[in-house]
Amino acid sequence: MANEAEDTIRKLSTYKGVVGVVVVNGEGIPIKTTLDNHISVQYAGLLTALVDKAKTVVRDLDPSNDLTFLRIRSKKSEVMVAPDKEFILIVVQNPVE
Amino acid sequence: MAPKKIPSPQGSSKHRLPDLWRSKSTEKSLGILLKRLKQKDAASKSRGNLIEDEALEWLKPRALIKPDDQEDVPEADLDEEVGRVLTTINPNWVADEVAYHYGLGRFVAKPKPTFGKAYPLYIYQGTAIRKDSEEAKAQIAAGYGMVGFDDAGPKRAKVKKSAAEEEEEEEPEPEPQPPEEAKAEEDAVADEEKPGEAVEGPHEPEPVADDLEATAGDVGEEPEGDEKDESKDTGEEVLEIKPRVKKLANQFNFCERAALTYNFPRRSVDTQTIPPPRANYGSTALQCIIFDYYQEDYARKQREKEEDKPKRLRKKTAKHVKSAQQIHDEQLAQRIREAWTILERLVNQNIYDDIAQDYRYWDDPSDEFREGMGSLLPLWRFQFEPMRSHAVCDVQWNPHYQDLFAVAYGSLDFTSQQKTGCLCLYSIKNPAYPEYAVVTDSPVICLDVYKETPYLICVGLYDGNVCVYNAQLTLESSYQYKSDSVRDKHSNIVWEVRWGARLIDGESTFFSISGDGRVVQWAVMPGELQATTIITLTSNVPPIPGPDGTMINVNSCGSCICFHPEKPDIFMVGTEDGMIHTCSLKYNRNYVRSVQGHHMPVYRINYNYFNNSIYASCSGDWRVKIWEDGREEPLFMFELGAAVGDVKWAPYSSTVFAACTADGKVYVYDLNVNKYRPICVQAVVSKKTKKLTRIDFNTRLPVIVCGDTKGTCHVLKLSPNLRVMCKPPKKAQGVDQRTLQIMKLDKLLSLVRDPPYQTGVVDEKFDDD
Repeated sequence: MANEAEDTIRKLSTYKGVVGVVVVNGEGIPIKTTLDNHISVQYAGLLTALVDKAKTVVRDLDPSNDLTFLRIRSKKSEVMVAPDKEFILIVVQNPVE
Repeated sequence: MAPKKIPSPQGSSKHRLPDLWRSKSTEKSLGILLKRLKQKDAASKSRGNLIEDEALEWLKPRALIKPDDQEDVPEADLDEEVGRVLTTINPNWVADEVAYHYGLGRFVAKPKPTFGKAYPLYIYQGTAIRKDSEEAKAQIAAGYGMVGFDDAGPKRAKVKKSAAEEEEEEEPEPEPQPPEEAKAEEDAVADEEKPGEAVEGPHEPEPVADDLEATAGDVGEEPEGDEKDESKDTGEEVLEIKPRVKKLANQFNFCERAALTYNFPRRSVDTQTIPPPRANYGSTALQCIIFDYYQEDYARKQREKEEDKPKRLRKKTAKHVKSAQQIHDEQLAQRIREAWTILERLVNQNIYDDIAQDYRYWDDPSDEFREGMGSLLPLWRFQFEPMRSHAVCDVQWNPHYQDLFAVAYGSLDFTSQQKTGCLCLYSIKNPAYPEYAVVTDSPVICLDVYKETPYLICVGLYDGNVCVYNAQLTLESSYQYKSDSVRDKHSNIVWEVRWGARLIDGESTFFSISGDGRVVQWAVMPGELQATTIITLTSNVPPIPGPDGTMINVNSCGSCICFHPEKPDIFMVGTEDGMIHTCSLKYNRNYVRSVQGHHMPVYRINYNYFNNSIYASCSGDWRVKIWEDGREEPLFMFELGAAVGDVKWAPYSSTVFAACTADGKVYVYDLNVNKYRPICVQAVVSKKTKKLTRIDFNTRLPVIVCGDTKGTCHVLKLSPNLRVMCKPPKKAQGVDQRTLQIMKLDKLLSLVRDPPYQTGVVDEKFDDD
């Protein structure tokens, strides 16, 4: 599993435009990252809160529903978030020119 | 006695108070001895005063209020002790006090109090009486005066008391003890001591009572002046008194005792405990949270219900159950994998967004102006980095998932053969990386995806082995089944594998054709593959002498196999010498039919999807031929100018097929449009470096995939002209597309079939069986 994760992160970070990959554990602590430490911490902290909020939105509209994915497009980059109750995977990608 | 009883003014004034007390005591109606009664009254009174004082204490100001004009006394004077002497002589007492007597008209000396110089400050009525007094006598006579019991009526007691008081007040001096009384007392004592003699008691008191009445009568008559009323009262009371009958106590040592229990003083005790730890807690009860709790609760109840079941049933299930932790870990791992997959696809979606847009929406607009000509739009290119130097030896779309295709990586360069091969599954959702990739220890030459269970893939290897891969399993267990390398593998390259019908027992089977000239049926048994040789391809070449002089039969080398779409017994094999043999599973020696189809190895035979008697073949002799069963000569023949690696009929049209050639071109034909020329020729790869090997139509999407010798798969989109569907004629509206396609092909065939159509040989032969 560990190897698999390592491989996946390596693989993902080689993709075109991918700036960084961050793996956040259930407590909001980045446990694996390809970004700088302080940026990863920032991403982890902010996105954990956002994911919680987004999840609440989805689940409050329909309790049997659940948030599976979050995609934030910004002017400069796109942040893709795979939320789970025990982890959050974050990929930051710059759009392809 | 009588004159002594005349109350003095002093005495009468005193008399009033006890009277009051007496009335109180009557109310209480205590059957207690007179003395005791008096004592108690006094005691309660004094206590009451005390309590009152205490109660008022709070009213008193704490600070001392001094008058303004208070004299200042020096401290020393305050401290000075002043001696005081109490003397028995009343300094205020005047020895010869006189008062003016108006009657006599002169001063007379005031009568002096008997107590001389003493001044009564406080007079307390004692309760004791003298034994020899009249009262005592009367009491004794009435049976009182003995310590023990009595419940004498209050009135009687009152009388006695009053009498006693009067006597005592008036006659403090001791009186001579009359012998009678003593005697009476003695009697009383005797009475008490000997209850048995109590019989005498009742007789005795009567005279005494009479006496008493007499005295009472005296008392009533004798008082003078203002005291008369009072004494009359007493007299009346006395009259009511009945002779006292001593009550009989029990025969044993009876005693009545009143007791007051000790009142425990009240005390309040306070204790302060350590305050319990406190914490602030805040939470929002969102709808989803409530829902979750309900779900949890429901699950728990289900579990409890499960546990209520008899143990016997539970044990069976418990054996195979993994621990909760294990399950959780597996689920977590699975979730992480899925999340990664989605992330990867998203990243790829961003990267290949334009291609996806093209794939979905871009149709070559020039098709409208080019009648009968189409083009191919290159979309994604799939490459697996470790397999860059390998050739794509086979590609096949998954029959179940329209976006998935399987690729066999091997090598067609026989002089410098690769050591390894690879089986990959690509999804067009993720062009960068295969969904599933497993490296084999020998190059993979061919593959086939099982239609019934699309995760089972059988592959044929360069070393003659065949394997079955299960794409659902993790990569650690690479293959599920593999042929035995020693016992029953092929002795040459496996050129094509095809899944066949299930056996009678229900086992899945697949067939392989190899360069060693054998067609082998592999039954997928639990844990192993069981091989059965179906047919050995004979050749016309005469046996050649072997190295040790024996003659060796030379088999013709099989290069491709194709099953009849409807008759699972019938299959066709192509050989390297260009023969196309129609065979049956029922005949393991003879061919049903043989056709010299090509002059070079036949690379592919493919049946038309709409007409079971039409098939296409391609070969290294640059030609693609369209055949009809039972016909010696092909219906169509196309020369493509290079070795044709693959030919496939289109699943959407009965007249369209595509072929790929070694010079890197894809040819698409529509016989309905043009019987002689392709409607599209497109160079997909550079012919100098790469060759196209295999091609496959997607069954649902308008794309084809073709593989080249450098390990790249190209997905191409068919332009609208290449996928023209039939328009239903005006006469037969509402006929479904399939019928139309068949009609289209039949119409075409009727034009082509110059000689009249003969019944297919295959049909003829097996109809007899």
